[in-house]
Amino acid sequence: MPRLRGSYDRPDRIAEAITQLKGRGYTDLETYAPAPFPEVDNAVIEKPSPVRLFTLVGGLTGVVTGYALTIWMANDWQIMLGGKPFTSIPPYTIIAFELTILFGGVLTVLGLFGVGRLYPRKLDAAYEPRFSAEEFGLVVRCRERDVAEIEALMRGHGAVEVTLVES
Amino acid sequence: MTPPPAESVAAMIRPGPTLPDSQVNRDILRVMEGTSAGYWLLVLIAAGFVGLAGGIWIWQVYEGLGIAGYQHPIFWGAYIVTFVFWVGIAHAGTLISAILYLFRAKWRNAINRSAEVMTVIAVLTAAQFLGIHVGRIWKSYFILPYPNQRALWVNFKSPLLWDTFAISTYLTISVLFLFVGLIPDFAVARDRAAGWRKLLYSLLAGGWQGTARQWKAHNRSVLHLSGLATPLVLSVHSVVSWDFAMTIVPGWHATVFGPYFVAGAIFSGFAMVLTVMIPVRRIYGLEEYITDYHLDNMSKFLLLTSTIVSYAYLSEYFIAWYGGVEAEQTSFWMRAFGPYWISTWIMILCNGVFPQLLWISKLRTNVPFLFVLSVLINIGMWFERYVIIITGLSREYNPAVWGVYTPSYPELGIVAGSFGFFALFFLLLLKIVPMVAIAEVKETVIHRRMHDEGAH
Repeated sequence: MPRLRGSYDRPDRIAEAITQLKGRGYTDLETYAPAPFPEVDNAVIEKPSPVRLFTLVGGLTGVVTGYALTIWMANDWQIMLGGKPFTSIPPYTIIAFELTILFGGVLTVLGLFGVGRLYPRKLDAAYEPRFSAEEFGLVVRCRERDVAEIEALMRGHGAVEVTLVES
Repeated sequence: MTPPPAESVAAMIRPGPTLPDSQVNRDILRVMEGTSAGYWLLVLIAAGFVGLAGGIWIWQVYEGLGIAGYQHPIFWGAYIVTFVFWVGIAHAGTLISAILYLFRAKWRNAINRSAEVMTVIAVLTAAQFLGIHVGRIWKSYFILPYPNQRALWVNFKSPLLWDTFAISTYLTISVLFLFVGLIPDFAVARDRAAGWRKLLYSLLAGGWQGTARQWKAHNRSVLHLSGLATPLVLSVHSVVSWDFAMTIVPGWHATVFGPYFVAGAIFSGFAMVLTVMIPVRRIYGLEEYITDYHLDNMSKFLLLTSTIVSYAYLSEYFIAWYGGVEAEQTSFWMRAFGPYWISTWIMILCNGVFPQLLWISKLRTNVPFLFVLSVLINIGMWFERYVIIITGLSREYNPAVWGVYTPSYPELGIVAGSFGFFALFFLLLLKIVPMVAIAEVKETVIHRRMHDEGAH
């Protein structure tokens, strides 16, 4: 199937083009942007990024690990100090707090790597260095007969250039 | 002063550079290109200090901590002072990156990257002092809870152990924070580099193309990391302060220590950001990015935190007097008028008095003045920790065990080496890491361009 790539110089224009394309049923879209613009990103994907679940799971694992580690260790080798209980929650809260942050942070970043597919790999054929300079790219995969319509639509919304990437 | 007209206030709130977009890439990547003879000279000097400190340290491992001048009653000397100093420096980066991010203070994006880099280097520098201070470095892993033949576990009620957890968490999170922010900028560098740099940045950028999915995941990660790092940055220096406050030493045993240390840390961190960024901005012509507006904002932060720190100094003296504990009163009297009076007055002048000049608005953008002031604050903040730690230990409850400590030459050599290490690491990263957050600046620039074209 052919892929059409339009390049834009403004985020509001590319966002309009995406909304229009989606309205007409072209949902196989990809964008390349030099900086984060919520209007563009939300036009492509409406749902919030699943990375947030990773933070939650990491944080909860951290707090449980922190308390479990300290309480278990204090009772595994018991040291009696002034007749006080072996398990002492207030100081252990500090360890639990630090591990909440640590596990939450590490899992957030792992989530980013997974969700964003960030590992050394070959870049898309449609990606070009100018999309890390000042331009925005919009790539649509479509059937042969829709090419003309999409091109017209992209240009109608201010595309600076429209090219056929592959067919 | 009459308030400025509304248009100029709007321009100040969004002071993005006025350059065309790809210019941003060129300007910032240019910092990483080429190295002059002056650069290598600085690297050589810094490496020389690191080598000197390394040599002294090996000598200390061989001879023992005796050469560090530790003797009764003072066993926490310049190493712990310098440890606390560097941990303090490490606080500005996270404050700028995380807290100002959550407050949506857009001006941070010109300075956040360099501050984050400084944070990571400062924590690494600080962490070394724990190893240097314990003397028997080959046993330093005893502090970690690991299964061992003695079936012993570490004491989780000790502030020193909280410190281990706090510092290692802080190091990990600040490295991750720096790296996540760098991914889009590594991609910018990858698309423009050749040779070994191309390979390096391809690995580091890991397939970043700025797709909607990637930006959404990235924004979400930065938001969550900021949310996690904000309580963390407040906790780290509080935990460091509890190393002192949880004891019964006069001058240390104070509930104000948590906020006092955190404010001092942010104060010294901002001063260090200024000390380092003023020359970098000048040498690499980054005045378009790090503008007078940024200097003004940072000066205001210095003024605020200096005032908080001064309040803490006053409240310490007030409580010492009002509390009526004789040992506490003596300790504070000795601080100001005893053998350490010079250190105390350096601390009060550099941290409490000189920064008050920043009330004068012209001085807040006067670059030479700010540079000199920031260096004085760094000195003052080192002496603050020196005063707290040394005077506390030298004047405890029993006058029969009072003592006086002065740092020995080996200690001073290692302290100097830590500055060399910080400088060396920063100089090397200057050539590998984009020192201004390119994607964030570009966001501002594109918004500004749209604004000029009348889109909003």
